[in-house]
Amino acid sequence: MYTRYNPKQHVETPYLFFTGKGGVGKTSVACATAVALADQGKKVLLVSTDPASNLQDVFEIELSREPVGIPSVKNLFASNIDPEEAARVYREKTVGPYRDKLPESVVNQMEEQLSGACTVEIATFDEFSHLLADDRIFTQYDHVLFDTAPTGHTLRLLSLPTAWSGYLEEATHGASCLGPLSGLDDKKDMYQKAVESLSDGEKTTLILVARPEESTLIEANRASSELGEIGIKKQMLIINGLLQSYDQNDEVSTAFYEGQQEALTKTPEELKKIQTYSLPFVSYSLIGMDRLRQIVSDEPLVEFKETSEDTELAPLSELKDVIDDFSSKNTRVIFTMGKGGVGKTSVAAAIAVGLTEKGHKVHLTTTDPAAHLEYMFQNGTVNENLSISSINPEVEVEAYKKEVITNAGELNDDELAFLQEDLESPCTEEIAVFRAFADVVERSEQEIVVIDTAPTGHTLLLLDSSEAYHKEMSRSTGEIPESVKKLLPRLRNPEETGVVVVTLTEATPVFEATRLQDDLKRAELTPKWWVINRSLYATGTTDKVLKARAASEKQWIKKVQEELADNSALIPWMKEVKIGYDQLKKFVQL
Amino acid sequence: MKKVEIFDPAMCCSTGVCGPSVDPNLTRVASAVYSMEQKGVDIKRFNLANDPAAFADNKTVNQVLQEKGADALPVILLDGEVVKVGEYPTNEEFAEWLEVSAEELTQKPCVRVSVKLD
Repeated sequence: MYTRYNPKQHVETPYLFFTGKGGVGKTSVACATAVALADQGKKVLLVSTDPASNLQDVFEIELSREPVGIPSVKNLFASNIDPEEAARVYREKTVGPYRDKLPESVVNQMEEQLSGACTVEIATFDEFSHLLADDRIFTQYDHVLFDTAPTGHTLRLLSLPTAWSGYLEEATHGASCLGPLSGLDDKKDMYQKAVESLSDGEKTTLILVARPEESTLIEANRASSELGEIGIKKQMLIINGLLQSYDQNDEVSTAFYEGQQEALTKTPEELKKIQTYSLPFVSYSLIGMDRLRQIVSDEPLVEFKETSEDTELAPLSELKDVIDDFSSKNTRVIFTMGKGGVGKTSVAAAIAVGLTEKGHKVHLTTTDPAAHLEYMFQNGTVNENLSISSINPEVEVEAYKKEVITNAGELNDDELAFLQEDLESPCTEEIAVFRAFADVVERSEQEIVVIDTAPTGHTLLLLDSSEAYHKEMSRSTGEIPESVKKLLPRLRNPEETGVVVVTLTEATPVFEATRLQDDLKRAELTPKWWVINRSLYATGTTDKVLKARAASEKQWIKKVQEELADNSALIPWMKEVKIGYDQLKKFVQL
Repeated sequence: MKKVEIFDPAMCCSTGVCGPSVDPNLTRVASAVYSMEQKGVDIKRFNLANDPAAFADNKTVNQVLQEKGADALPVILLDGEVVKVGEYPTNEEFAEWLEVSAEELTQKPCVRVSVKLD
């Protein structure tokens, strides 16, 4: 068995990065660690780089870029780097002084250009490396903890210092994609230092957080090797939510326990070599200081009174009702959206299979960088009316580069080198993935397209860039694929497109899904369904610990039902990971 | 020596590869400018996205923008006078202004040696 995680004994470096598949509890673990270290008398700064910051939910205090002291915990400070906000600040700094000097149409053009993904990435990176390279931060705090965004984003963020350091050296012809941050070159030393801090085992530990579930362990392994390659060698694994005992008379509890143990035996070999600790599955939700302290204490298994125990719930729809709805309305494009780890991929796959069973021709695809569609369909048959694909950013980038170079026509060596340099920029990925995305949606003329989108922040950037993209087309002289032109109007048409928000019965996923819905509404997209996944409440378990957790779910189910969703459906927690067409078929016929 | 100034619209990068689609015209202009720079021609490019001051401070360019708005970009100046508005010059035009042959703008310059530091 694993040693129980105890921050006071196990934390050895000043910088800590928490990473893992969304929903594994990175935020809770980071917060509990921060509080424990602060209680020990260490001065601690907790930084969130999550576009949908969770920290403010946990501490119940409004956070900003500047570190603020947490009133209820001495020595603890927290700040939040919101990528969109960082980009906005940067944009205003650049554009602001020229509002009076240049005509409106010119100012608008500048703003539009600075609204792209590039600016967001650069501005975020800038904030991030500032903290890593600043000696004052280093001397002022004993520990700086980064509660990073879901893995895909984390990887991009962390791999940026190396990627960009290289880029800056090679970008001999000047501005290029780094244009939005002119003067970036002056900061080269700072970025260099950020990279050094990251790969210094004396300074930085990468804390991989996983659940006793196979997919989160696979994800942790991927992150571990990818970040290891970048040079972050000092790593630690925390298995969060390990059920300590079970009730033999309760089917759900037994299945839950056995499922966890089975998943742990499938831990990837590489990951087994990393120092591993665990945190127990507890009956209470991790909101508030007393609970954060309890979870990493010597006595984590206590009970807290949940306020929602007596809540009465109205009857809820099931996943098959969602499928019936889309089938009868003949919706052409269906997105499942939500933070990573809530099970969007499974829900998308189940909807796709359900619609196929109703006689529709269906195409299922994913833009999630941490895709596991292939994993889900690794065995079993696939119906001939169901086709499956995935958008792999790396493949798309290669294809796009090739296309650009081919279209550029006759180039001499020097010109080619020049063009290739520009193609090395981070923008290229965004553009390439976006085009692939448009091509898939185009298929909805012949078949229903079910898209399992990437985690929240990324999804929004994608849709945002689709908007900027859309505007940009009107003045571009290059070739625009037809599929791209039709994309945004199609996404906005409720007759054609249905959005399904996927969430879990816990505070953070519900808060995140709410923010996602708000953002979508700003982009003129209203989610049709909310699907609440993996509900213990829906299982009717009688196990003491699980039952307490099930009761705490009710407040979130009620909130979704009454305040957030137009239509909502509940999916019970299930032991079997639904792999293969036949299993998914059974699942939707429940 | 003649002086050429190109005031570009707000662009992510000078070759245009970051845009929604690649404009072959931009790639050509980028190459031509690069060739001219290599020959020691006095040619400057300003991108609205990262050098707005140049647009605001240059009276001639600012005037054009005040009258015609953003659609007037790119604006090309030859020795401080507007020679082209709203589109990029052809290689022939560049050649004529700078009194060089158009072939010189597309001929292969010597191969650049790139050193990769790891």
